[in-house]
Amino acid sequence: MSIIDRQLEEMKKVIRDPILLVTIIAVIISLIIFTLWPIYEVLVEGFLAKDGTFTLKYYQDVFRQSENMRVLGNTLLLGFVVSLFSTAIGFLFAYADAFIKIRFKRLFNVIAILPIVSPPFALAMAFIMLFGQRGFVTYSLLGIKDANIYGFAGLATVQVLAFFPTAYLVLAGLLKQIDPSYEEAARNMGASRWHIFKTVILPLVTPGIANSFLLVFIQTVADFGNAMVIGGNYTTLAAKVYLQAMGNYDIKGGTALATLLLMISVLMFVVQKYWVGGRSYVTVTGKPSRQRELINDPIISWIVGVPCALISLFILVLYILIPYGSFVNLWGIDFTPTLKHYGYVLSLGLKPILDTTYLALLSMPITGIMGMVIAFLIVRKQFIGRGMIEFTSMLSMAIPGTVIGMGYILAYNDEPLVLTGTATIIVLSFLFRNMPVGIRAGVASLQQIDPAIEEAAQDLGANSFKVFTSVTIPLISSAFFSGLVYSFVRSMTAISAVIFLVSASYNLLTVAIMSQVDVGRLGVAAAYSTVLIVIVLAVTGILKLLLGRMGIKINMQ
Amino acid sequence: MLALKEKLTDRGDPLSIINNINSKSVAVKNLEKIYAGHNGKQVKAVDTVSLEIKPGEFMTLLGPSGCGKTTILRMIAGFETPTRGDIYIGSERVNSQTPDKRDTAMVFQSYALFPHLNIFENIAYGLKIKKLNKTVIKEKVEGILDLMGLNGMEGRAPNQLSGGQQQRIALARALVMEPSVLLFDEPLSNLDAKLRVYMRSEIRKIQQKIGITSIYVTHDQAEAMSMSDRVIVMNKGIVEQVGTPDEIYNKPASRFVADFIGVANILDAEVMAIAQKSITVKCMDHLFDVSTTLNLQAGDQIKIILRPEAVQIGEAGKIPVIVEESVFMGAYQDYKLVVNGQILMVIDYNPSQKTVFAVGDKAYLTINEANLHIVKG
Ligand SMILES: Nc1ncnc2c1ncn2[C@@H]1O[C@H](COP(=O)(O)OP(=O)(O)OP(=O)(O)O)[C@@H](O)[C@H]1O
Ligand SMILES: [Mg+2]
Repeated sequence: MSIIDRQLEEMKKVIRDPILLVTIIAVIISLIIFTLWPIYEVLVEGFLAKDGTFTLKYYQDVFRQSENMRVLGNTLLLGFVVSLFSTAIGFLFAYADAFIKIRFKRLFNVIAILPIVSPPFALAMAFIMLFGQRGFVTYSLLGIKDANIYGFAGLATVQVLAFFPTAYLVLAGLLKQIDPSYEEAARNMGASRWHIFKTVILPLVTPGIANSFLLVFIQTVADFGNAMVIGGNYTTLAAKVYLQAMGNYDIKGGTALATLLLMISVLMFVVQKYWVGGRSYVTVTGKPSRQRELINDPIISWIVGVPCALISLFILVLYILIPYGSFVNLWGIDFTPTLKHYGYVLSLGLKPILDTTYLALLSMPITGIMGMVIAFLIVRKQFIGRGMIEFTSMLSMAIPGTVIGMGYILAYNDEPLVLTGTATIIVLSFLFRNMPVGIRAGVASLQQIDPAIEEAAQDLGANSFKVFTSVTIPLISSAFFSGLVYSFVRSMTAISAVIFLVSASYNLLTVAIMSQVDVGRLGVAAAYSTVLIVIVLAVTGILKLLLGRMGIKINMQ
Repeated sequence: MLALKEKLTDRGDPLSIINNINSKSVAVKNLEKIYAGHNGKQVKAVDTVSLEIKPGEFMTLLGPSGCGKTTILRMIAGFETPTRGDIYIGSERVNSQTPDKRDTAMVFQSYALFPHLNIFENIAYGLKIKKLNKTVIKEKVEGILDLMGLNGMEGRAPNQLSGGQQQRIALARALVMEPSVLLFDEPLSNLDAKLRVYMRSEIRKIQQKIGITSIYVTHDQAEAMSMSDRVIVMNKGIVEQVGTPDEIYNKPASRFVADFIGVANILDAEVMAIAQKSITVKCMDHLFDVSTTLNLQAGDQIKIILRPEAVQIGEAGKIPVIVEESVFMGAYQDYKLVVNGQILMVIDYNPSQKTVFAVGDKAYLTINEANLHIVKG
């Protein structure tokens, strides 16, 4: 049997099932239109001259202009430094969480969730409030008149604080999976704790460390919000793409830069997924046989615990500064309480707030359902194109938002599909950017469920649609609703892609906040941010409550 | 469990709740399934299998692990598509039908009860899809629970039931659909030994009462022998023999079947002469007249199958042997004997009433020629 025969063999089951077939085709087409096509547009645009002929000019410009090379260097250096520090701090937190007996562990979860539920540049804003020209520390406490936090140091610090939770979650997951009997075996053979750490624990999580390094690298390189707010003259690719395309109206130059950015991210993604991803020694599914006896040694607890406590505290302070800043008259100068920033927000109109909430709510169920459908197809069905669905839907996680935003305006600006300026284009970008997390959760939970249960339903007369709605979804409800909540939160806080897509008719909160930061109205930006965080917490709180009543637990990580 | 027994024996017609069974035949013709393995290697799980199962028949697919039993069952249910060949349920070719369209119901090894539904909803699941009205559904579910001796458990979740109870719910959920064909994939393998013995007779009783065509997959020969009208013995994707339990035990079609079912002595022999009704073979340095349907010629090397319990051991007889091992097993004495350089296993029942031979003793065997069965070497 040739490969083609074999694939046709696999397709037999799909072809006799029209519902399944139509679903698969619909998913593939939508992924092509809303993920691959925009990327293709970005890649191609830079090769076309204004009159439509082929040219290498724009790509040559990218490499010829020293400015661009500097930006590329900035991006890579920043990515490297931030990933290094994030992974180290993440490891410290993960180790504390998995191995050491300390009391304030629940705080770690809060720290891990804060970057997800707040605007992507919240930390940068708070950092400016502390260390900026009118910063509380720099100006009010130390009396420095011209403190300059903008640039590499500020940006890198903020990004480390924003992204180390990613490393923490990856590594804590791994460390908790390590069966304690390995260490006991080593200890039994007379190894010291430090020796065990070096020779057992560390080798076991090395792939995980590489993994989180790459994941943070992808995030850092793609980070647009912080780079714009606190990057100053230290321009990164993600910011440069936007500035070039929207600031200088040089779309073609922008796309050439976007391609470069895309290459870096995709390369990291492929390395992460196919090289590092397959190297884990720690089985992902198996639960360790027993609970680990946590380390109670005061010296170790102090060495690991104190830095974790300090970092956690610092992050909490940063986040608290934002609501606080929204209630003071003039940050750094006059700390008298006031509601004037909220008054200003009201005077500007509630439209961005309502629009954002509405669009995020609208995209939420679509994202959730589509994510579960794709997870179902990936785990349960064999068909030609399955690999493509898996790769493409996951890939969109690695594509920097600025690239996708750019791709969307290029692809849907003229016939056959005109969407620019509509709500649809924003919802679509939410959908395809937020789906991968739901897919991953769905895949993980489906893999835990005996496929015979779905077969039993089909055997009893349920068609594919009925099986999916009456058995699959209820069985993976926790993943489904987690996906829903996550997608809502991410839609509320997204900026990098949607900043290209907002228009006079649809503006979004994050974009509004950024423009307030831009003009230096920190109080107003803080007020907007507070509103955003309140909406996010309120909606997720209500959802959690409702789902809790139904006995469903959601997990945001 | 007791309740179930009573229901089956004492009440008027406890199975009246299932009154609409239209048992159908099942046929597969030249069925073949090749799996595309993960490393590009192909696995021929089922190799040109043809079978016919009559309406109302209890047919068991028996064979060692990995021989393709489950694959055949899943192709009949519709979960797998054949690489080649046809599947008929009744007179209808069902190759292109998805499982929900086929009139089969399956009892899964893992039971596959819906964990998010209670027992009532589990059993009612298929009935609701059939769009029966609510009172009919309630009647049927309660009736079948009654039959299974599980009334009062409607509101429980599957994980609040014991393994045996879950097993019966799985059977109830399949039966209540009144399918034309009932499929079982090792349904008893997760039960303890005692319950397994009990459930196999229960399943068989219900099956016979309602006369439903059943295809039952197992690798447990005791199950196969005790439940089936006919047994299909499979090995490495091919059918070795189809026959009644008696036939596959006493007239195994191949060395594999003889070896797989029970304990068999497989002895080297040579065809000496062909007569009209029987042939003369030389085995253990003795001549026997054996009847066979095989087409043989003088000089052929063959194998003789001889069951250990089909030999009499005593102080006098035709064939002298040396005892190499002798183990008292309670109900019988287990001997390992050497005859003419070949090893022979012999079982002697009720040993306390007989002479028991010790290791090293000389003894004699008497063999009834009707107990000798020839298979091709
Ligand atoms: N989905 C699959 N992909 C690839 N190979 C498979 C698949 N399912 C089964 N096989 C292979 O096909 C062969 C037959 O499998 P099958 O499950 O039918 O065996 P079985 O007789 O039911 O065994 P058991 O008694 O262990 O359940 C085996 O070699 C098995 O590894
Ligand atoms: Mg099997």
